[in-house]
Amino acid sequence: MQKILIVEDDEKLRNELEIFLSHQGYQAECLKKFDNTIHDILEINPNLILLDINLPNVNGEYICKEIRKQSDMGIIAVTSRDNELDELVSINYGADHYITKPFNIHILLAKVNSLLRRTNSNSEPKNKIDAKDFILNISNSTIIKDDKIIDLTKNEYKILKYFIENREKIVSREDIMDVLWENDCFVDDNTLSVNITRLRSKLEELGLKDIIETKRGQGYMLKGEK
Amino acid sequence: MNFKSFIKDKILLCFLLLFGIATIEIFLIPYPFGNFIKIYIPVAIIFIYIIGLSIEYFMKQRFYKDLEDTLNNLDDKYLISELIKVPSFIEGKILKDLLEQINKSMVENVNKYKYKQEDYKEYIELWIHEIKIPIASSKLIIENNKNQTTKSIDEELQKIENYIEQALYYARSNTVEKDYYVKKANLKDIVNESIKKNKNVLIHEKISVNVHDLDLEVNTDNKWIIFILNQIIQNSIKYKKQYKNLEIEIYAKQGKENVILYIKDNGIGIKKGEITRVFEKGFTGTNGRLIGKKSTGIGLYLCKNLCNKLGIAIELNSVQDEGTEIRLVFPKSSYLDIQ
Repeated sequence: MQKILIVEDDEKLRNELEIFLSHQGYQAECLKKFDNTIHDILEINPNLILLDINLPNVNGEYICKEIRKQSDMGIIAVTSRDNELDELVSINYGADHYITKPFNIHILLAKVNSLLRRTNSNSEPKNKIDAKDFILNISNSTIIKDDKIIDLTKNEYKILKYFIENREKIVSREDIMDVLWENDCFVDDNTLSVNITRLRSKLEELGLKDIIETKRGQGYMLKGEK
Repeated sequence: MNFKSFIKDKILLCFLLLFGIATIEIFLIPYPFGNFIKIYIPVAIIFIYIIGLSIEYFMKQRFYKDLEDTLNNLDDKYLISELIKVPSFIEGKILKDLLEQINKSMVENVNKYKYKQEDYKEYIELWIHEIKIPIASSKLIIENNKNQTTKSIDEELQKIENYIEQALYYARSNTVEKDYYVKKANLKDIVNESIKKNKNVLIHEKISVNVHDLDLEVNTDNKWIIFILNQIIQNSIKYKKQYKNLEIEIYAKQGKENVILYIKDNGIGIKKGEITRVFEKGFTGTNGRLIGKKSTGIGLYLCKNLCNKLGIAIELNSVQDEGTEIRLVFPKSSYLDIQ
């Protein structure tokens, strides 16, 4: 399991971050004392740290620089100051990403994910998701079942991927739109309906009829594999 | 200063002189001087006096004319004391000296307010950074406890965040110092970012967003432009028609000397007579008085202000009941290209 260390002086914020990240399947830990920060961080040796730049007593940029000298763990600098110069400074000191409070949770998660993928070079990036009854090929956005291959559009691919990640859970239309919008596809309600209809008929071609179930008034659900 | 007013100023001296000449003439009566002497003395005195006056007049006239011309050509008129040549006559020297003292005292006074304002701005920025921490915590708490209630709180939090951002940029827009950072940026990234910022409301209100032709580069400060777009998008949402789906269209066109970004909506629009006033501070207009709109008259004023600082032109076109179009004109700067 990937270890994430939260270096943040606001107690409530770090506790909630810890809960949030452990919900997402990471091993999250917090640093509670800041008198020997650099030493502590190196001793815990996480895969990634979320580093608040404005810590009491110590300078976050200095920590960044010192850690970078001895380790190449992922560093995401967190701050409440938002101007481009601060961003430049932290990146120059060796932070991999920079995020401002109050952060968008999805962006934070996306940055964590991409950074962990990159720092862990031994775990090859997966280019196929095996959904048991079919396979989703990430590299060329196609679904594969037995010998049949069907192309998906960008939107259909994103929707299906989200369904697979939340298999056997109800996802609302708003949740799906949220995911699409986060990926720069600003679809409206009608387009979403069209996308889902098309996705359904493509799945039907593969003999996966009614695998996406409509839950009236709540949304959709991808049924579990037979 | 003309000759007439100069002579008027010297009128007392002239009378005294005439009185002196008359006195001399009276004293000369008992003595047996010829008429030549009796006429020569007053003529000589008057002649010499006129020469003296003329020299003084031309000297002063030149000095004051010079002063006036320089002052008229000067943008910052308070700098005049630095530019006057040291005059050769005593009143001029006193004037220059006084001007310098007055100037110094004024600069001190202005600085006092400048520092006060600077101080206040720093406090506001600090306060804003402080308040972002509890907001960040609250958002995480909501994320960790997702339900209808927290979702509703999340929407309110978003509003708080918007107001805080407005305050931050208001503080920034009012200072002389430059705290933005201009670099090459892609319009697509900027627009996408600002739409994502408003994603929750846009999805919730079923607003369709149509973005196209945005793959153009401009020189600007990302954060400021995102803030400006944010204000514009929020306005569109605020002033949408009640029973019609709002459509927002954002696209850009490459001009010869500039790149123009268009933000169009099909909202309630703005009354014809009020269009020119929408960028005024505190102007709310007819739309602002509609029930439930809560206009502050700050949003567009701030946009204009920030655009001015960034060297971007902001223009607004609107037809009542049909919609509003806002254009942001980014100039092409060869200077920045070289950099």
